[in-house]
Formats: sequence, C-alpha cells, structure tokens
Amino acid sequence: MANLKEVRIRIGSVTSTQQITKAMKLVSATKLRRAQNGITQMRPYAQKLNGILANLSDSIDVDSLKLYFEPKEVKNVLLVVITSDRGLCGSFNANVVKRANLLVKEKYAGKQITVLPIGKKGADFFAKQPVQLLPQYKEALQGLDSTKAFAIGQYILDEFAKGQFDVVELVYNQFKNAATQVLTNEQFLPIDANAMKAVTGKKNDYLFEPSKVEILEALIPRILKTQVFRSMLDSLASEHGARMVAMDKATDNAGELLKSLKVEYNRVRQAAITTEISEIVGGAAALSQA
Amino acid sequence: MMHLEILTPDKSLFSGEVSAVTLPGAAGEFQVLSNHAALVASLQSGIVRIKQSNGHDQSVSIEGGVVEVLNNSIVVLA
Repeated sequence: MANLKEVRIRIGSVTSTQQITKAMKLVSATKLRRAQNGITQMRPYAQKLNGILANLSDSIDVDSLKLYFEPKEVKNVLLVVITSDRGLCGSFNANVVKRANLLVKEKYAGKQITVLPIGKKGADFFAKQPVQLLPQYKEALQGLDSTKAFAIGQYILDEFAKGQFDVVELVYNQFKNAATQVLTNEQFLPIDANAMKAVTGKKNDYLFEPSKVEILEALIPRILKTQVFRSMLDSLASEHGARMVAMDKATDNAGELLKSLKVEYNRVRQAAITTEISEIVGGAAALSQA
Repeated sequence: MMHLEILTPDKSLFSGEVSAVTLPGAAGEFQVLSNHAALVASLQSGIVRIKQSNGHDQSVSIEGGVVEVLNNSIVVLA
C-alpha cells in the first residue's frame, strides 16, 4: 500500500492539473464568445451577397464566368484543410485530418494532391505525408480577420484560374453550437452552377450598373472569398467549443480522481493510526507483564 | 431620407439616416439621392461620401464592393 506522503503528493499534482484545466475551460469560453461574435457580424454580409446573387443568377451562363463553373477532368487536387494551431481540444484536429486523409486515399486516389493547411496542427500532420504542401498560410488563424481570409481566397482563385488545380475542396468543422461541430468537406471550386442558380430570394426590378455580367464578375470571387472566411470562422469557433468541452470533461475526471485519492489517503492514515495504537497497546502489555 | 448601411465581413462601418451618398462606381463616381430607383452596382476602391440627415458629413474608404439600393435603403458591401 502506498504511504501517506506518496498519496499526498499525488493529490497535490491532480489538484493543480484540475486548476489548469478549469482555467483553460474559462479561457475557451471567452474565446468562443468572441469567435461566435465574428460569425454573427459576418452573417448579414453573406446574406446580402446571396440576396443580390439571387437577382443575378439567371445570367451566370456567360463565357467570362465559365472558369468558375465548368468541371474539368480531375488531375490536380487542392485540399484546404482547416485545423487549429493548438491541441488539447479532444478529437477536433484528429477528425479533420482523418477526413482529409480519407479524401487523399479514396476519393482522389492516384491524383496529384496538394494540401493547403490552415492551422499548424494540420500542417504538422501533412508535412509527414506524401503530398505536396503549401504551408504559407498555416498561421492565418492568429488574429483572423477578413483581410487575411480574403488573401487566402484570392490565392486559391488565382491558382485555380492559372489551371494549377482542377478541383478545390475545403475540409473543416462547421460550427453548430458550443458542444457540436459538424465535420464537413465541400467542393469549393468549380462551383456547382445549379446550386448557384438555386439561390432564391426576393426578385426585384433592379437597374444594373455597369451590367449584370460585370457585377457577377465582381460578386462571385467575393462570395467565394467570403466562403473561405466563413469556414475559417466556423472552424475557429468549433475549436474553442471543442476545447471547452474537452477541458470540462478533464476537470470532471480530475474531480473523480481526487475523490478516490482522498479515500485512499484516509485509509492509509487510518491504517497508520491503527498500527501505532496496537504498537502502544502491545508495548504497555509487555511492560505490565514484566 | 434614406437608410445607409456599409457592411464588411468583419463589422458594420456605418449605419444611419442619410440624405445623399456619393459612391465610387466601377464606371465612375455617382450619387444616390432619396427615392432612387432600385439599383445594384459594383464599386471600385475609393471613398464613400455620406451626407447625414443631421447635417454632418462623413467619408468612409472602401476596397471595392457592391451596392444595393432598394426602397430608400442603401446597402454597401465592402
């Protein structure tokens, strides 16, 4: 049986671990709120963009926009994998990486695959995999704002326009609520023209300045870049949600462990006292016999 | 009297009642006054000049975007 001192040291170490996990949970809760704010701020913007698109979607069949819509024979694939920069958030990163790896091994098996990781964890994982890596945006989640996200979006659009990639897919966690993330992979480019035509909204009798097509030429890249931004915000909020839940569980587990350690501690202490008493009694008996 | 909102993905840059707005349209600068016909226009980067209803003027610089004018409500997506 462990001695008193050992048990006391373990109690001390578990208590300080519990304090750390509790603090991390609180920090994540605050960061989650901020990330959710970001999503709320972005929503009216995205809705308005879609509202305008709904009024234009009947003219997307023009040649100058074909680039965005026309499916090509798939040879070169770009996977944009959004993970977090740090660990200790349960299976958050493992899930994303697993899904991305599945795409590499099954859906796009035999194709030339390039991974653009956003978040260090994904970058670390894919650095060890036999894929091409574009690590320049792996730290983009630090101080995320639309400028950073739009720069990434622009880069992807440029590379796609140059014909470097035939298909671009996003892998990220969609934010549902603090406790739930929905792991998603969606095709970013080329866009499914039918999906874009299906965007519905109130049709108004607008004047278009300079022309419908020119507005679309500006609008579609903007919508795509907003989509990159939205995925990054979603992933960030999901990360903090996942970390909050993981740390909450860790705090609970530490509490359980502490409870059983305290029982153990008392048992050892009791045993020590009992031994001491029987020694004294034994000693006294020996004395009185003499 | 019109309501103007300038939205970016990060935050709202302006929201309030205005009497006139000058916008940097892709085909040249133009002004929107009260009761303007419904309009969607693309914008280049430049300065949005706002004449507020309370008499104060304000300007906001944007990096291109799209503007929608509908029923005396103007939304700039920058």
